[in-house]
Amino acid sequence: MSAGITVGVVANPASGRDIRRLVAGASVFDNAEKGNMVRRLMTGLGAAGVDRVLMMPAGDGIAESLTRNLRGRTGALREQPLPELEFVAMPVRNDAGDTVRAVAEMRERDVAAIAVLGGDGTHRLVARHCADVPLCALSTGTNNAFPEMREATVAGLATGLVATGQVERREALRREKVLRVGVNGAARYDCALIDVAVTRERWTGARALWHAGEISEVFVSFARPNAVGLSSIAGLLDPISRSESCGMHLRLTAPEEADAVLRVPLAPGLIVPVGVEEARRMYPGEAFPVEADGCTLALDGEREIELGPGDRAEVRLEVDGPLTIDVDAVMELAARRGLLNGM
Amino acid sequence: MTTVDTARLREPSKEELLESYRVMRTIREFEDRLHVEFATGEIPGFVHLYAGEEAIAAGVCAHLNEDDYIASTHRGHGHCIAKGCDVKAMMKEIYGKKDGLCHGKGGSMHIADLDKGMLGANGIVGGGPPLVCGVGLSAKVRGTKQVGVAFTGDGGSNQGTFLESLNLAAVWNLPCVFVVENNGYAESTSTNFSTRGIDIAKRADGFGMPGVVVDGHDFFAVYEAAGEAIRRAREGGGPSLIECKVNRYYGHFEGDAQTYRAPNEVENIRRERDCLDMFARRVTDAGLIERSELEQIDEEVRALIDEAVEEAKAAPEPGQADLLSDVYVSY
Repeated sequence: MSAGITVGVVANPASGRDIRRLVAGASVFDNAEKGNMVRRLMTGLGAAGVDRVLMMPAGDGIAESLTRNLRGRTGALREQPLPELEFVAMPVRNDAGDTVRAVAEMRERDVAAIAVLGGDGTHRLVARHCADVPLCALSTGTNNAFPEMREATVAGLATGLVATGQVERREALRREKVLRVGVNGAARYDCALIDVAVTRERWTGARALWHAGEISEVFVSFARPNAVGLSSIAGLLDPISRSESCGMHLRLTAPEEADAVLRVPLAPGLIVPVGVEEARRMYPGEAFPVEADGCTLALDGEREIELGPGDRAEVRLEVDGPLTIDVDAVMELAARRGLLNGM
Repeated sequence: MTTVDTARLREPSKEELLESYRVMRTIREFEDRLHVEFATGEIPGFVHLYAGEEAIAAGVCAHLNEDDYIASTHRGHGHCIAKGCDVKAMMKEIYGKKDGLCHGKGGSMHIADLDKGMLGANGIVGGGPPLVCGVGLSAKVRGTKQVGVAFTGDGGSNQGTFLESLNLAAVWNLPCVFVVENNGYAESTSTNFSTRGIDIAKRADGFGMPGVVVDGHDFFAVYEAAGEAIRRAREGGGPSLIECKVNRYYGHFEGDAQTYRAPNEVENIRRERDCLDMFARRVTDAGLIERSELEQIDEEVRALIDEAVEEAKAAPEPGQADLLSDVYVSY
């Protein structure tokens, strides 16, 4: 294997196609476009001097779209330096385990960063397993709070500048918060990056959460008023930035019984009234027990954990989440220092 | 304020859950038994088994009324059972017997029961979607609130009939739902070789209808997505497409050597993603249903399938006189 700088790429073939297309008016983010995004990302990585891309071998058209795109380069596009593309040698099972196995291999191979193309759920999964490998978080959906919707070419440049050390990690990375979910004594059973919701729906069903009336509690790590999804409830009530060392816990109730009612963009194309009964800040380490039977916990907007009789869950905010690349900050520094000047 | 209906779909009651389990178990037993019996050479024609995909038929048909319609595929036994067709008459049909559901003239691939809204299994890949457009148009013109559901495979989704049906259903705003059972292979051709990186669900966007992907092994995922799609169709909201990612346990047809599949592919899915196992674990963990209640259903279903096979084997063959009945032309 040649030496040099390697960046990992995880592109989730399952993101951007859940039931919100049916009930809320979102559209499918197709896998061919994810493949195209990876090619554009590679252009940025190559321009910044990254030697190799180590990619999760996802099925469902992403790799096919990427290789077709690479093969089809002509003219000026062909002249651009691109990193070598290598797929992680692993069996593809088309489930979340693929991502876990791919990230483990990327860590083993000392990748300088991992670019993640997916929704909040994909990022949550990578964040659980990537330790301190910095993430470039790219959204491939319409309902995301954690990854950003931005042009992959520029994200590739910024990631490449960090991976090659042209911009130092301390200038480029931010430490994210995380909501740790404990179940029946396992304190690190699972986690969420933005929000945990307790819903009275008994089954994880089609995963996505959009029935506001069934949600009894919400925990958020940060809350922007311009977000779409659950965290926008807290965002509209009392915004919390990504860097503040606190989160928020909300108890919800029926709008007609609540003192405070907010019109919340819960999903793309879906604005619903939400009644807030109580809101208070969460501080790192403080445990919030969830008392519920016959309910599910939704992590970053997707129902994930079914709680039956006798199950006990708790949620706590921690400030030791994943490291992410601040693309805006990196590009600012690149401009100020002339890192991209010249041919 | 948006006009989107956020009223929650009712969760299935205990009785409904037990019924859905019975449907899935019946399909599994039916297909597992046919897998064994077909090898004896007693069954004429071809059979294409639905084992592994039960959660889709059960999760979709749980929302359909008797006067709603479904159009099936060559892999149609599961759809038949889930839509309420008589299991013993189905078995006789597959054995080609006179008392079969279609008097022994349809067999596995043309089994139908119009009284149950089952428009038929279909030897023509992609043949079902145009039928439900017809059903949908009829229901819309007559204002009956009936819904038509077409099951198609990933291979069928590449047929012109499928794509034309999406277009027709969209432009006429028909009460139709297109369910694509993407089991990864069109016969022996992997979906990755037969589509160029375009999701089947994404095709819905191109025709102006919503498309959604669910895990076809997960009854509750299919149930919820199908419930929303069928409600939308019934209330005049128009058609939609559900792509269910799933695995079939047996070959394309019985006798298929399946050299195109990865080693242990099926074993892994059976162990980790079996729809019946997952369903049983979840409803018992939730404290809703006792394990013994499920075992009782298992026993009853086993007995039913035993009887169905026994009776089918003993049933009379069609005679010469039957050659000229049930045909459009008088000779």
